[in-house]
Amino acid sequence: MKNVILPNNREELWKTWETFPEAVPMAGGTDLLVGLRENKRKARTIIGLEKIRELCQVSLQDGEILIGAMVTHQQLLDTPAVAAHLPGLHGAAAVVGSPAVRHMGTIGGNICSASPAGDTLPPLYTLGARLELLNPAGSRVVPLHEFILGPGRTALHQREILSRVRIRIPAPGTRSYYFKVGQRKALAISIASMAALLQLAPDRSVMEARFAWGSVGPTVMRFPELEKTLTGRTFSPDLLNELGKAAAARVAPISDIRGHANYRRILVANLPLRLSAALAQEGVTKRDE
Amino acid sequence: MKITFYLNNVKQEIETQPDRRVVDILREDLGLTGTKEGCGSGECGACTILADGVSKLSCLMLAAQLENRRILTIEGLASGEELHPLQKAFVEKGAIQCGFCTPGMIMAAADLLQRNPAPDRKDIRTALSGNLCRCTGYQKIIDAVESAAETMRNKA
Amino acid sequence: MNGLTSIGAPLTRVDGPAKARGLEKYAADHYPPGLLWAGVKRSDHAHAMIKKIDIFSAGTVPGVAAVLTSKNIKGSNRVGLPEMDQPILADDKVRFRGDPVALVLAEDKSALALALEQISVEYQVLNAVFDPEQAMEQDAPVLHENRGADKGKNILISGTLKRGNITEALEQCDALVEGEFHLPRQEHAYLETEAGVARLTGDNILEITVSTQTPYRDRTELAHALGLPADKIRVIAPYLGGGFGGKDGITVQGLLGLAALHSGGRPVKMWTTREESFICSPKRHPARIRYRLGCKNGTLHAMTCRIIMDTGAYASLGGPVLAMAMEHAAGVYRIPHVLVEGYSVYTNNPVSGAFRGFGACQVLAGLEQTVDMLAVKGGLDALEFRLKNAVNRGDTTGCGVHMSNSTGIIPCLKTVQQHPFWVNRDKWVSEAPAFKRRGVGIAAGMQGTGYGPVVPDIANAKIKLLPEGRFRIYSGVSDMGQGNNSTNVHIAGEVLCQEPDAFELLQPDTFRTLPSGSSSASRTTFTFGNALKEACILLKERILARACNLALGVYKEDLLLIPGKVLHLPTGREIPLALIASAMAEDERVCVSTWTAPVARYPDSVNPEIRAAGFPHRVFSFACHLVRLEIDELTGEIAVCDYLACTDGGRVLNPQAYEQQIQGGVVQGMGYALWEDFKVAEGGETLTRNLATYILPTAADVPNIISLPVETEEETGPFGMKGIGEIVINLPFPAIANAVAMGLGRRIFQGPLNLEHLQEALQGSEKEAPQ
Ligand SMILES: Cc1cc2nc3c(=O)[nH]c(=O)nc-3n(C[C@H](O)[C@H](O)[C@H](O)COP(=O)(O)OP(=O)(O)OC[C@H]3O[C@@H](n4cnc5c(N)ncnc54)[C@H](O)[C@@H]3O)c2cc1C
Ligand code: FES
Ligand code: FES
Repeated sequence: MKNVILPNNREELWKTWETFPEAVPMAGGTDLLVGLRENKRKARTIIGLEKIRELCQVSLQDGEILIGAMVTHQQLLDTPAVAAHLPGLHGAAAVVGSPAVRHMGTIGGNICSASPAGDTLPPLYTLGARLELLNPAGSRVVPLHEFILGPGRTALHQREILSRVRIRIPAPGTRSYYFKVGQRKALAISIASMAALLQLAPDRSVMEARFAWGSVGPTVMRFPELEKTLTGRTFSPDLLNELGKAAAARVAPISDIRGHANYRRILVANLPLRLSAALAQEGVTKRDE
Repeated sequence: MKITFYLNNVKQEIETQPDRRVVDILREDLGLTGTKEGCGSGECGACTILADGVSKLSCLMLAAQLENRRILTIEGLASGEELHPLQKAFVEKGAIQCGFCTPGMIMAAADLLQRNPAPDRKDIRTALSGNLCRCTGYQKIIDAVESAAETMRNKA
Repeated sequence: MNGLTSIGAPLTRVDGPAKARGLEKYAADHYPPGLLWAGVKRSDHAHAMIKKIDIFSAGTVPGVAAVLTSKNIKGSNRVGLPEMDQPILADDKVRFRGDPVALVLAEDKSALALALEQISVEYQVLNAVFDPEQAMEQDAPVLHENRGADKGKNILISGTLKRGNITEALEQCDALVEGEFHLPRQEHAYLETEAGVARLTGDNILEITVSTQTPYRDRTELAHALGLPADKIRVIAPYLGGGFGGKDGITVQGLLGLAALHSGGRPVKMWTTREESFICSPKRHPARIRYRLGCKNGTLHAMTCRIIMDTGAYASLGGPVLAMAMEHAAGVYRIPHVLVEGYSVYTNNPVSGAFRGFGACQVLAGLEQTVDMLAVKGGLDALEFRLKNAVNRGDTTGCGVHMSNSTGIIPCLKTVQQHPFWVNRDKWVSEAPAFKRRGVGIAAGMQGTGYGPVVPDIANAKIKLLPEGRFRIYSGVSDMGQGNNSTNVHIAGEVLCQEPDAFELLQPDTFRTLPSGSSSASRTTFTFGNALKEACILLKERILARACNLALGVYKEDLLLIPGKVLHLPTGREIPLALIASAMAEDERVCVSTWTAPVARYPDSVNPEIRAAGFPHRVFSFACHLVRLEIDELTGEIAVCDYLACTDGGRVLNPQAYEQQIQGGVVQGMGYALWEDFKVAEGGETLTRNLATYILPTAADVPNIISLPVETEEETGPFGMKGIGEIVINLPFPAIANAVAMGLGRRIFQGPLNLEHLQEALQGSEKEAPQ
């Protein structure tokens, strides 16, 4: 039998953790409990974080959106500020698992699982998210890309939790997107995904562009040097094609039950072109012509 | 451990191990076998219940998480002999074949109709996309939810 | 009478309300007080001799009541029909990864899990074979010793079908195409995994309540395997949480029976986890099918077909499945010169067996693509070409099967031909949005009803007038979700002119109902419905006769049976059924009728083994399907936009139940075509271990299905109906494959047509930008 304890606040949390040093934190449990069932994980004591109020809120502060680690995917979907300022993240939350999984699973759990296929990760990478980590001694802030070390590996210390995700609100006019390819339209772990953050000048030249691909490497893949080469150039399908090809040449995806390495590489190359369809649909490319 | 919660609007006090799955408590201890298990890993939706009004998967919930919550299972949906409009629509529209997915499907639909009383067919498909059905091809289930939504709107 | 039970009216399910409330008790829902949990230790080798099974430490785990091995089995320890080759618990050797080796009974699931871990088995690993073609080679490792040497060592069954002169005919064709199709292994994935409870009653009856399509066959097999007299075994089959062929035969019954014989009189329960169900349940046979098809002046002239099916470690229904495949290999077409060769082969893979469509599904997936290839090659219209070659009643198919009964394929084809989706196909395809390609595909086919000429397809129906004036129907055939119980009410309601609530249904129970065969083979309503209709007619006559006796001096012709009573037309007097019932002895209130399906007795062109396995059938259902789909050029994702299923299932008894079968079957067929691929690694290990990796369609993945019934009148079916449960699943695969081939401009021979198999084709496709 496992112990399951649900502390009501930080103080109780640290106390519980002191009593059970090997305890594993649980957010929505959608990842952890499946891992335990499959014997991929072990836990003698589980500390559920669901009752710690401060972890469950979204707030705006000094041009930042602060998202508590226990905020569920559904809460992200229901938060107007997320929909308005972070459509890429919003789009990612919308395609996690299924409605019930979105009601249970949290952004903190998605990040701490550190799965290369975690859907909120690519948009969070493009947004330059920073993470607030809490431990009995205090807190620290770590950029997301430094927090995630590899598949299932994070920079969390013993007895430390992720408490908040901090995201600087992008400049007005910034567009963001999330595209995911899975084996089916729902209940699908991504075979490859791509988040994009795009700021175009009125003449359609690229002011800033950030791209992050999921499921095609040990962690989310970003190529800042490629992004730089786009700055100042006119946004066009050719440009996206070029970007896709260059990115595909830089990734080394694996083959697994969901997709072949080759196929993943094709997706890395092709997913940027989804942007041109999306922008055409929004009337951006047409309007400017 | 002792756990107190509300089950289908009735206060329950149970003594159980904190790590037991909610689906097991409902089925094995409380005799409520309407909540089904089809996978045990979140992939089929057969175990869907409402916890504080929100659809959750009872195969991925532990006993300790029940404390103080209001749990609604398929057995608590009808008021007495009178079927809930969703249940009635499922029967009338032919949305039930083997019926093993039905309780979870209806609970997921109940969650949807709380959030969106006037969903279109696409909304319904999305809302039920975590509930696998191997018999119906989903079409009559969508018909049923559409029709129940209308009934409920007209009643309200 | 509100007309609800009239044949042709959309009667809602009688089981609906209880299922909607969550109150229906499936086999998995039984938790008898004092139960012990039963669980299985399975082999982790694909092929090995068992040297030793150490159960000692498992037995010492607190809460463990018994640990059993094959040594505890008194009978033959073999189940399976017709081929009894599968042990309940492996004795000398294991033949696939997952073969049960030991059985544990425990107080709770944690003790059970702990004990199972404690069992250690010493194996001597044998060479294994996983490829059916390699398994046929002379030096291949042998799975089942002592089988006839003439058959080839691992060949379960093989067959040859010859008509005309194939060698010459192939030379004569003016267009000839060839293709080898690889069809995937499909998992039934019913939502209720294998489940049941069992106990030994005070009078030593082994009572098993289990999710099964075959209660009566189970009893026979269990008697043999466990060494008990059949009349000491009682099998009860509540509503199933899905079956589709996967519960056509023994799943957990043998283990449950064995457990109950060693539980000290306590009830035992077994319910497989999804992962375990995936390993132990039979699948749709993966098949390699090579076709050559040729025509002369637009008329089909010659066909060869070579079928290799992987039946896995045990026969299950591999023989009948192959016979069915061979019978349907030429589909709905007249072809004078034909050669079909078929092999069903043992390998160390998981077991393959019955699955909706039953072999016809695989061959039609290949044939209907080949027909399209030939149409393209010959520059012919795919639908016109089919129409020109399709059978009418009185014709013989390429496989020598006579269309002696209702034959509605031509009206099905014509209905699709006139549909706007077909008429406007070129326009629709040309309007594909940027980065998308569109395709429209069709397929035609048929499905035989029942067991074929040798195994008698019999049902025994029983209906009883109850003292209170209601009726009890004794259903001998399981309702796995297809709704046959409701149809029974429908049929009885029509004959007896009663409302649905006048009936009480008794589910199959070998102690109370009568043997009526399996819930399978599109025969459930066809065969049992005929028997039931007869029984109801008998009962009606008897009720009227007794009413005459009661109301002295009236004539039977003046009496009308109406809901709850008998009406005397000339006087308007009514006699309640309860009163009539009270005047009848119990035996008199029961009517029983037996019905045997007609069989085809003409000489045919196959070997006797294939005939014995079910070749040929007599009554067939027909269909033509059309699909419109869109392929994403960037990702290869396929969106099915529209789907049309035009079916000849004879008369439609109940439009709602009919649509349920069509819609559900099409989506299961879409799964087969597009997503479902039960993968087994070289070495026999299952790769798609659960519902996260074995991809079933969700509500978001499929469109609405348009069902267009073409009603023929089948004179042997109750009220003119034929079975539609299976025909519907045979055509989504080829229709979708044909549409994909049109969209991509090339054909993919490896199924399913999922992203993995499309990616190569994609690499070649060029991208065009919008604007
Ligand atoms: C059916 C199904 C479908 C799914 N589909 C998707 C999908 O499409 N896309 C996707 O990205 N994911 C998917 N998932 C995975 C999972 O649901 C998500 O990753 C989810 O966001 C995890 O959140 P959680 O709160 O449930 O995490 P949990 O399971 O509670 O935790 C996951 C891990 O993070 C740790 N952890 C959680 N919170 C914290 C914290 N605050 N501080 C420190 N450590 C913490 C836990 O110890 C654990 O190791 C799916 C899961 C299921 C069961
Ligand atoms: S049993 Fe919970 S989702 Fe399948
Ligand atoms: S009705 Fe059988 S699974 Fe949905």
